[in-house]
Amino acid sequence: MERRLPQFFFALSMIVLALMLGAIWQAGTPAWRSYQQEFHRLEAAGEPNAAAKSGVLGANLVIRQALLPGLQRVDRCTTCHLGVEDPTMKNARQPFTFHPNLAPHLPARFGCTVCHGGQGLATDNQNAHGKVPFWQEPLLPKEYIRASCGRCHKEGDVPGVPELTDGRRLFETQGCRGCHKLNGVGGTVGPDLTEEGAVHRAPAWLERHFLDPNAVSSNSPMPNFHFTKEQARALTFYMLSLTSEQMATYYSSVRLIPSAGYGRQLFVEKNCIACHNIGGVGAKSGPDLLGVTKHHSPGWLDEQLVNPELVYPGSIMPAYDLETNARKAIIAFMAAATAEDAQSILSRRPRPLTAQDAAIEAGKQSFARFGCVGCHGLQLQGGVPNPNSQGGEVPSLLHASDDYTKEEVIAIIRNGKVPPVDNSAKPAPPLYMPSWKGVLAEEDINRIADYLWSLQKKKESW
Amino acid sequence: MMNPLRDAWQSIVRRDPLSTDKGKSELVFLNVWLHIHPAKVKKDNLKVKHTFYLGFITFFLFLILVTTGVALMFYYRPHPPQAYQDMKDLQFVVYLGSFLRNMHRWSAHGMVICVFLHMCRVFYTGSYKRPRQFNWVIGVVLFLLTLGLSFTGYLLPWDQLAYWAITVGTNIGSYAPLVGARVRELLLGGHTVGESALLRFYVLHVAVLPAVMTLLTMVHFWRVRKDGGLSRPVWKLKPEKAARLVTIGASDTIAPLTAVPASKDKTYGLMEVVTGKPIFETVSMEEEEDTVFSYPYAFFREGVALLATVATVMAVSMFWKAPLEELANPAKTPNPAKAPWYFLGLQELVSHSALLGGVVVPALAVLALILIPYVDLNPSRRPADRKWAIRAFTLFVVVNVVLIVVGTLFRGPGWAWVPPWVHITGAE
Repeated sequence: MERRLPQFFFALSMIVLALMLGAIWQAGTPAWRSYQQEFHRLEAAGEPNAAAKSGVLGANLVIRQALLPGLQRVDRCTTCHLGVEDPTMKNARQPFTFHPNLAPHLPARFGCTVCHGGQGLATDNQNAHGKVPFWQEPLLPKEYIRASCGRCHKEGDVPGVPELTDGRRLFETQGCRGCHKLNGVGGTVGPDLTEEGAVHRAPAWLERHFLDPNAVSSNSPMPNFHFTKEQARALTFYMLSLTSEQMATYYSSVRLIPSAGYGRQLFVEKNCIACHNIGGVGAKSGPDLLGVTKHHSPGWLDEQLVNPELVYPGSIMPAYDLETNARKAIIAFMAAATAEDAQSILSRRPRPLTAQDAAIEAGKQSFARFGCVGCHGLQLQGGVPNPNSQGGEVPSLLHASDDYTKEEVIAIIRNGKVPPVDNSAKPAPPLYMPSWKGVLAEEDINRIADYLWSLQKKKESW
Repeated sequence: MMNPLRDAWQSIVRRDPLSTDKGKSELVFLNVWLHIHPAKVKKDNLKVKHTFYLGFITFFLFLILVTTGVALMFYYRPHPPQAYQDMKDLQFVVYLGSFLRNMHRWSAHGMVICVFLHMCRVFYTGSYKRPRQFNWVIGVVLFLLTLGLSFTGYLLPWDQLAYWAITVGTNIGSYAPLVGARVRELLLGGHTVGESALLRFYVLHVAVLPAVMTLLTMVHFWRVRKDGGLSRPVWKLKPEKAARLVTIGASDTIAPLTAVPASKDKTYGLMEVVTGKPIFETVSMEEEEDTVFSYPYAFFREGVALLATVATVMAVSMFWKAPLEELANPAKTPNPAKAPWYFLGLQELVSHSALLGGVVVPALAVLALILIPYVDLNPSRRPADRKWAIRAFTLFVVVNVVLIVVGTLFRGPGWAWVPPWVHITGAE
């Protein structure tokens, strides 16, 4: 042993040296280098003379990256996808293929992953495409990539992506917020959806879920809304676009052009004329909006649209959940609006304005915004299944005045209600009326009651 | 004849050639790095089966950790989103970055294991007994420091694994009455794991704990040397040699300091002249046939241990990646959230009783470890004479290992009993 010790020592030194060389070899031959070499050969084939050829072939092999502080990303995709901006690579194989129709979303400003998903920091195939454990944004399948438009274009129509507009509209009209929270507003029965497009990113799962929640998530309390395939696709698009990622002004301001035309559309949609008038035409509960932009600064008006209570304490105007540019668009519309505009908006209303309309409109807004329609239905018809409750479904609100006084209804909204159980041996009904005290102001609850009472139908006598 | 090269070399080493005994001795005496060794060591101490070189291996792992750790510091920013991005950069763009991080990670786990095994070896050979009682205490502190270094390093990647392990780990600490919550707040710089916690853990990990560790390691080594070198199974000496051992530095009433062979031509050092009696067993007292020069016998063996340690860590690092999960997300608690593996025995105890499992039992265990040399007054180191001590310690080791294995492999969502071969569908 003693004499063999130096040999042993020497042999181990050699093993350590070999391991060092192994590590260096492992680190020294990343796949992106061979991709770049191959791309240089492709480029050289197109060069006319020998000098240019050797210049291209001798180019340095380097990691290429787009530093995108405004998106809090670093995208190294173009390390391998070298032909993205090179039209001559139109027919080259991946990863060198040219990306058509890029402008104005140039990789230098937008990178790749904000639309495509994947792991921008990575420099090898598996990791970069995000198909590895612990990366939450794998590459989106081709048919869903357009959903990413909604990450920046959060409002209005996105040209070429009608699914987003449809999905957004479905979400707001079907009462999804009754159970799901989005950007801080909504119920707590289902999961918060604020990060749905950033965290899970499972388009196929989402789409099957919308067609039949129980098919992918057993015992889900979410009712089957019997969406069509198109509606499920639209909602999936909308879900994939949801993220609370902080984006710099450059990205958030390109969301939508705040035109007066879009402002007028919103003015009609939000039924502003139910309270306000323009040049004396319309309702009188709110102030005349003629020339309002001359009396108040854009900042003041913007604040008024975000949170009326902060501008006028005790204001009966509801707070509307409008994006920055939607508010800009409404202000742009008001700047040029005339009595004739009000007249034409009024002429398209289904029924004439009444004195109570302001409160009813505010109630309706709250009813929609806080997701009441999710269970009670768009026409207050109820009917969402609620197993083991008496009647087996959420009750219609159209005949509430037969069983309750207005004060009793206000108390139920304020304190919530557990539905009466049909069979106490079976599990309790999954859906219940939550308590809205603390979420809704007293005035809001009263106005919702006003809204409900405006739609009451007399029970048919027999 | 003038030979400038040889003169230059001589000016560096300043010793006789290594072919002479004087040269071999001077190599140790005149070298700041080697003089912690004796010039000559007992043959018994070189045997692998006596120590398994576990102390050396632990120290070598510490050296690997310092080296790779300093290299990693060049690429690391201790601030929340960047810290995680730096892990990704190490993985994807830094040359040998993954390899460095893997080496650091696996060495850290290896060091926790080796320091524990070293402690077991020292216990089973009874090497904590007079005069080494206090060195055992320092060893226990070094063990705790190793855990502290590993725990503070665990947070630095700032991924889900790190975030929740530290959240759980510091929660266990907060169960201590009166001070627990305060200590947790001091450690985290807040009530939850956040950017100040990351900075504090970083400073502890790269400056405070390594400095304390280095100082105490020096004391630990120094005392090993002063207490007569590595311990060896004296009870196995042949009867004729054992008969020549004399007990020094002790009256008849208390346990002997140590046993040394009687020597006819003993020379006394300055310290022994000062104190009037030989205090420590030294090599010069040994019989010639029982000792060898440190060079080359001890140094080559230590070199082999170092190379084997480095080679093992490198080989493991080439084939197994250090884990890295998603970016830390305080809003998304994994189920179950687990502390680092060496604290999972504790977490298992805590799942049964927070105060008893999280505070009382571990505090008593550490206290018991520290007190072992002062409670176990049995002078004999022969295993046959200390059956109950060995049984008790073995029970302690087995319970620890079982608890850690249960916490690591047999606990699923909600800390429910889930064997590793059962797959839970739908669990995220």
